[in-house]
Amino acid sequence: MKLGLAAAFLGATLLAGTASAADKRWDGADDLPVNPLACSAGEASAAPAAKPYDGGRATNAADKSGKPITLVDVPKLIGIGYFNATSKGMQEAAKALGNVTVKTDGPTEAKIDEQIKFIDNYITSGVDGILFAANDPVAIAPVLKKALSKGIHVVGYDANSTPDAREWFVNQAEFNGIAKAMIDSMAKEAGEDKSFAIVTSTFTTPNQARWIAEMWAYAQKCHPKLKWLETVEAQEDNNLSFNQATTLINKHGDKLAGLFGMTSVATPASAEAVTKAKLCGKVAVVGLATPNAMKPYVNADCVKSVVLWNPVDLGYAATYVMRAVVDGKLKPGATSVEAGKLGKLNVVNGSEVLLGSPFIFTKQNIKDFDF
Amino acid sequence: MSAMSEIPLPQTVKRAVPWWLLRHETMLAAILIVALIGLGALNNRFLTIDNLLNQGRLTTEVGLIALPMTFIIITGGIDLSVGSIVGLCAIMLGYSWKSFGFPLPLAICFSLLVGAAAGFLNGIVITRVKVPPLIMTIATLALYRGLAEGISQARSVRGYPEWFYFIGQENLFGVPAQLWLLLIAIVVSAIVLDRTTFGRTLYAMGNNETAARFSGLPVDRAKLIIYTLSGLMAGLSACVLVSRVTTTRSDMGIGYELDVIAAVVLGGTSIFGGVGTIWGTVVGLAMIQLLKNGLALTGVKGDATIVVIGAVLILSTLVASSLQRRREGV
Repeated sequence: MKLGLAAAFLGATLLAGTASAADKRWDGADDLPVNPLACSAGEASAAPAAKPYDGGRATNAADKSGKPITLVDVPKLIGIGYFNATSKGMQEAAKALGNVTVKTDGPTEAKIDEQIKFIDNYITSGVDGILFAANDPVAIAPVLKKALSKGIHVVGYDANSTPDAREWFVNQAEFNGIAKAMIDSMAKEAGEDKSFAIVTSTFTTPNQARWIAEMWAYAQKCHPKLKWLETVEAQEDNNLSFNQATTLINKHGDKLAGLFGMTSVATPASAEAVTKAKLCGKVAVVGLATPNAMKPYVNADCVKSVVLWNPVDLGYAATYVMRAVVDGKLKPGATSVEAGKLGKLNVVNGSEVLLGSPFIFTKQNIKDFDF
Repeated sequence: MSAMSEIPLPQTVKRAVPWWLLRHETMLAAILIVALIGLGALNNRFLTIDNLLNQGRLTTEVGLIALPMTFIIITGGIDLSVGSIVGLCAIMLGYSWKSFGFPLPLAICFSLLVGAAAGFLNGIVITRVKVPPLIMTIATLALYRGLAEGISQARSVRGYPEWFYFIGQENLFGVPAQLWLLLIAIVVSAIVLDRTTFGRTLYAMGNNETAARFSGLPVDRAKLIIYTLSGLMAGLSACVLVSRVTTTRSDMGIGYELDVIAAVVLGGTSIFGGVGTIWGTVVGLAMIQLLKNGLALTGVKGDATIVVIGAVLILSTLVASSLQRRREGV
């Protein structure tokens, strides 16, 4: 009797929850406003209006202009190719600058609570600056604000926090740009009126959710016949990604014409699943991934386009931005910043430094990259 | 004073080492103090009041759950669903507030109620259907996490009012607000376990459940209470966590069950039941948190820290259990 009551109670809670969310698409997208780009490459999209600086400020930071500084880099997690590449870029920048020491340290799983603890500990141990890639834009904000209040400079890269919790954010590529590259590639490879599914990390991961929201908006506008089957979560886990992709292939059968991999782990795993299922050429794989992980599939003609920016450059730029902040060269209101071998990078969106357009790796150019 | 020393001492006190010195908890506390001094010597920022209080803040969520977990493990049971209950309660807090339109204080009560209900469901199936706690709570570990994801549709809830952040981020008399909560919970749990019939019932159940039943102890009721309590405290922990990180996510509390059980077991509570103290759990909690923090401040990297912690856990358990064997003359 009591058991029945408890079950009924939980069931009712579940129903209430699903009912309230039933009108939304469960596709892993977030609810933030979207800004799809123009359909053809030639058409210029309207330039966004210049926004005033909306970042935070480090209070009473010690003047280390031109002096040696120690930085810590806390990525979403350590031990995956992508963040190894950003870390490599930071070391290159530190070497080029000569007066910067940077250490990468972070959780072994992409967990927000762990990441907060790492940053908290580095605030206590004392560093001049913190570079971060947020697992959650809001949850990470209090600890970053604490760093700013203690005079530690804070610059984000890869995944942003709320703007007032850091000084600058190095944006690898704008969300709508990535979304356009992904959807255009899929429409070209799979066909305009075909069905596809998405393998993402988790629905709560900010970057992936943003990309999916922009992809939805862009597809609605420019490729309205593309059919969205479903989006599945696979953490940042190799095995799980492979299993999820295989499940999608088995579940949807001939209907499935394409797979999107939203992470550098999910894309090669999806390509592997398609290869194992002997469906190369029948199921297109388009996704975000690092070139080294994708070379076997691209060279075997199983994958035609891999969308990404250069993460080594991203880490390199973040370090230069941090140095410019410490030196007082990058102040609120600035419109560009010098970033060593990358040249001049533009400031967009108030307090973001833009690395550039997304890059598409193909069989022709992928051999030139090694990360 | 000289007259007192002539009073013949009882036989037990005459032994070379007092009995309490060989207790697991005492040994662990000694190891903890040595580790503290060592880490303090390696880094001058480690043994500062500021840092230690901050570590107290960070360990509160796990600590709150470790107290009822001590009760459960003393009875020979286990609750693996606590991390998922944290996720479910965090979501229920955020959703009842944002989607159902509850006022936030009511939403907090509601999420605590959901936590207690989740724990109650564990308890009722364990006692009525006689499903082993390990199996039942593995099942609800998946079930509750699934509910959290399903209800939230994996969307985060943000933008709580400023007053709600008090418990997670502010100080009360110079001490992190949530640490007061943990201290009160520790004192209450210690008194309940050590000084009440209920507490003795838990030990009796852990030592020999059949004997406890035949002695007329309310075994099933006690189980129902501790599993419900475990869910309730997981709910409380969720509220503190949401307040600290200012956002609700359905993946909150993943892996907490392991942190909690590690602290309880390191604190000398036997996984076979019948043995354990709240004080041991507190030392276990402090040990894990301060080791992690101390190592991080000393410049040991994250992945190496996990290895070192694992090694220390094994070592201190080995030392303590070998001393215990000597004491018992086995």
